[in-house]
Formats: sequence, C-alpha cells, structure tokens
Amino acid sequence: MLRIAGLAKRLGDFTLDCVDLTVADGEYFIVLGPTGAGKTILLETLAGIYSPDAGTIALEGRDITRTDPKDRGIGMVYQDYMLFPHLTVGENIGFGLLQRKAEAARIGESVRETAALLGIGHLLERTTGTLSGGEQQRAAIARALVLRPRVLLLDEPLSALDTVTRERLRRELKAIHRATGTTVVHITHHFEDIFALADRVAVMQDGRIVQTGTPDEVFRKPATEFVAAFTGMENVYCGVSRVQNGEATIDLGEIVVRTVTAIEGDVCVGIRPEEVILSRRPFESSAANTFPGTVAEIRQNGMFSRVVVDTGLPFVAVLTRQSVARLGLVEGEPANVTFKASAVHVFRR
Amino acid sequence: MFRNRAALPRPTPFKALFLAVTFCLIAYTLVVIGGLVVYPPLPALIESLFSPEIVFAVELSLVTSAVSTAFCVVAAVPVAYSLARLSFPGRNLANTLFNIPLALPPLVAGVALLIFYGPSTFGKMLSASGLDVIYTPLGIVVAQFFVNLPYMVRVARSAFETINPRYEHVARTLGCTEWGAFRQITLPLAKSGLIAGLVITWSKSIGEFGAVLMLAGATRMKTETLPIALFLNMSTGDLDLAVAASVILIVISVISLAVFERYTGGRGVF
Repeated sequence: MLRIAGLAKRLGDFTLDCVDLTVADGEYFIVLGPTGAGKTILLETLAGIYSPDAGTIALEGRDITRTDPKDRGIGMVYQDYMLFPHLTVGENIGFGLLQRKAEAARIGESVRETAALLGIGHLLERTTGTLSGGEQQRAAIARALVLRPRVLLLDEPLSALDTVTRERLRRELKAIHRATGTTVVHITHHFEDIFALADRVAVMQDGRIVQTGTPDEVFRKPATEFVAAFTGMENVYCGVSRVQNGEATIDLGEIVVRTVTAIEGDVCVGIRPEEVILSRRPFESSAANTFPGTVAEIRQNGMFSRVVVDTGLPFVAVLTRQSVARLGLVEGEPANVTFKASAVHVFRR
Repeated sequence: MFRNRAALPRPTPFKALFLAVTFCLIAYTLVVIGGLVVYPPLPALIESLFSPEIVFAVELSLVTSAVSTAFCVVAAVPVAYSLARLSFPGRNLANTLFNIPLALPPLVAGVALLIFYGPSTFGKMLSASGLDVIYTPLGIVVAQFFVNLPYMVRVARSAFETINPRYEHVARTLGCTEWGAFRQITLPLAKSGLIAGLVITWSKSIGEFGAVLMLAGATRMKTETLPIALFLNMSTGDLDLAVAASVILIVISVISLAVFERYTGGRGVF
C-alpha cells in the first residue's frame, strides 16, 4: 500500500499542498486534473526526484520519504518518454538491470520478455530516434516494468499520441496491469482514461486533491463545482453496446440509448447537461433519443437551472431560468428528455 | 535558413554592394594571413621551423596547454553543471563572475595573478613550500588556466543546459546514484559540447600571450611558448623565427576551428 500524508512541495510556480492519498496494492489509481495542477510534481516527489517540504510517503508500511530514488522500487514513465538517445531500445530497457549488476544473459532474457509483453520485441536493436510515438512510449514503459517496480508512475502516458494509438495503448495498459498486478499511479487530463482504466480516481486542482473515489462516484457526485466543470459529463452511465449497420444501441438497463459508434461491448456513455433538451410533451424531431420521465429536482444556479429528470435513470439538464418558467417545469410533474445521437459520447469501460 | 541562393545570377545594386564588401574582406583576410606564410623563402621557413628555439617553443606550448586544458575541463564540468542545473544563492552573480575574465584584457588578469602568486601571503606560502609560479613554466599553466576557464565553462554550461534534466530523473528511478546518472547519461549526452569546448580552450591556451607574459615572463628557452617566441624574435628583429612561430599558430587555429565547427555546427550541441 502506498500511503501519502500531508505531502507539500513548492517548486517555482507549482505547488503541492497537503496531499493525502492512499493507493492499495495492485490498484490502478488515476490522478485527474488540468494542466498545471501540480500532477507531475506529485509523481516526481513520489519517485524521490524532489524531497517534499512537508509530509510523508510510506510504501508497504516503510517510510520512504527520504529514501534515495534508486532504492524506492518506484518506476517512472514521463509523457515525453525520455528514452536515452545514446542507447538502443534494448539497452534502454536493460539499463535498470545493468545498474543492479545483473548478469548479461539474465538482462537479455528479461529485456526480451518485457519487450514481448509490450509488442516491441522486434525493435530492440533500433535507436530511439527512429521509433514512432507509440513505440517510444512502449519502450519507456518496458524500461520501467523490467525492474518489476512496486509502483509504476505514469505521467500522461497517452497524451502525446494520436487518437488511434492512444485507444490501442489504453487497452494495452489495462492488459499489462492485469498481467503484472503492479500498482499504477497514472496522471491524466483525459476523463476517457478513467472509465477505461481506473479502479479509483483522485481529482487534483491547484496542487490539492479535491476529491477521491471510484470513477462512478467522482462523475456521479462531483464534490465541487470544479470537479463537475472539469469532468463536464454528468450524465454518465454504463451498459452494453451493440453495433448494427453503423448504428449502435446501448442497453443501460433502464433505458436503451441510440447513437453512432464503432465501439461494442462494455461501454460507458456520457451526455453533457447542456445537450439534454427538456419538454413537457414528446415532440417530433431529428433527435434519436426521447424518454418520458418525472422532474425530480430543480436547482437554481446563477443564470441557469439544473433540472434532474428521472427516466429510470436520472438525467441532468441545464436550462435558463426563463426556459424553466416558460415550460412550467415543476418538481414531481412529468417531462420528456431528448438528446441527439451525436450528443452521446461513448467510451470503453 | 532563409538563404537567397539566387543572389548571384540576378544582382540588384543592394546585393551587389553587400557581396562586394564580403568578397573584398575575404580577399583581405586571405592576403594578410597568406602573405605572412609566404613572406620568408621556403627553405628559410623550414629551417626556422626546425630550429632548436622553435622546437622548444612548440614542445613547451603543447605540454603547458595540454595540462592547463585538462585542468580547465576538470574544473569547468562541475562548475558548468552547477550553473546549468542547480539552484543556489548567488547563482546569477556566479554566472557574471565567471564571465569577467572573458571581458578582462589578459594583461590585467596576468598582473592580478602576479600579485596573488607573488607578494601576497598565499604566494609566499607557495614559494616557501617550493612551488614557484612566477617566471616558471608552472606560471604558464596557471595563467592559461585562469584566462581560459570561462570559455570552457560557457561551452560546457550550454551543453548541459540543452539536456533535459528528466533523463537524469529517469536514470535515478532506474537505480542510478547521482554520480551514476551523471556519468552514464548526462556526460555521454554532453559529449559533443564538451569536446568542442575542450578544443576551443586548448587552442586559446596555445595562443595565450598577455597573461603568460605577465606571470611567467618571457625568458628565452625557459618560458618561451609559441606566442612568446613570436614576441621575442620580433623584438630582436629575427623575422624568420617569428614567422615560423606564427605559421604554427595559424595551422593550430585553423585545425581547432574546424574541429569546433564539426562538433557544434549545424545540429548544435546535442
């Protein structure tokens, strides 16, 4: 178990402010936050690159706050890979074992094994400059994994990649995590990573942890305005997607949503509250999804009102106060929820 | 590079004028330097090149410059790394301080060294323990080191500054000590820059005159480096020997400049 208590660090413009986190063994833990929230400093402090101004870090019951990075058993993968340019891919992956003075034969064997796990076994002789972004990221992950770290720190591992590679590597990360059982702390500003990968999530803002919980909790019950605004996807539900003729029907249990996606199987869908249309009666339109329900809650929020309509699943819509008045929406009265197929964001679970 | 390759075929008055000035100065430089080389008749030049005095000057120059350059590199690497990577109080001041000898006339540096190693308490302690710096070959090394260290520091600092510190961070998480990360990652990545710095430092210490003259004096066949030989033979009117020393200095400059360009040119210092 990785236990972080009261961790504080000030470094230039970035600060960590009294961070408390507990990550269980084998857990895939994601720290979500916008750029500049202090996420990378958190990882670097965990890795031992910086020593904290205050607070403690304990790994498996041992205080490692002042332990040298090389003795922590914590691996780190940077967003920009940081493969050593003067070494081949194989030498990069074997670098850590070489530091431990392992035998050459054992190093070669471990390197090949780990490279195979990441699908880069054929690249070992190459220099790092000739690799694609995805290949470099795999090599960087392999370099950290070959030492079998107790904790693997991933700094925005998917951000620098194109959409297709990102989706593929995301699946691979999940498979690697399953295969190795390594505890992973992954930082990102993409909420898609959370549903695909995370067991638990912490949301970070201005150097502070503002919420921790399962992905479901964080999205369903954002603890602060910031979390709600940052995640932006309040209507998040999970179900099973079936694709036929390019059109997908997603069974969410209570209701079935129609959309256009190629993703099949276990998925989550997200619909932004601004994209949910409310009406008193059903109306004919191009929108593919209409569900009858009851107004469960109306909450004033500045110029806008947050209206929750229970259709079997609670849908949150954001309306102007004028619209609420014009439609005559009242708590307990019936209302219809409508949204377009294109408003449904689908991501793999 | 936005080079205008079509400048020659269609010269406008503007381009013609600028190119004319450029070519005139190229010709001027070549004639002045070439004139020096071809001034003495060739047999006389060759004879002078192998005269005992010039041979001594070459040997003394090579030995002192090699030693002082080695010291420069050994001292500059930690200094340059500190200035590039570590934050410490007075870092900006240190940066300026190391640049002072660059702007200072070497003669002034030489006088300062002369006072430090001569009448000062430290100087007296040194000579009491048998280490005489003033008017000795050791003084040549000391003078070259002092004047040229800033060049090595500058080039090495820019070499270290271009290397992302995260390479070292990763190496540390992979089991390196700070020393190990520096030796296995940072030094190899800075290699080109350090070689370039070494060459330029060496070339400058071979040519160092003012500070050497002040601290080590100009004693024939004792502290007579190539520039000192040039100076001594000019002042006694022995032009052939002076030209011989010059020719060797020109050759050394051209070669070291080429090596420096090769290691820093185009792709920068890594």
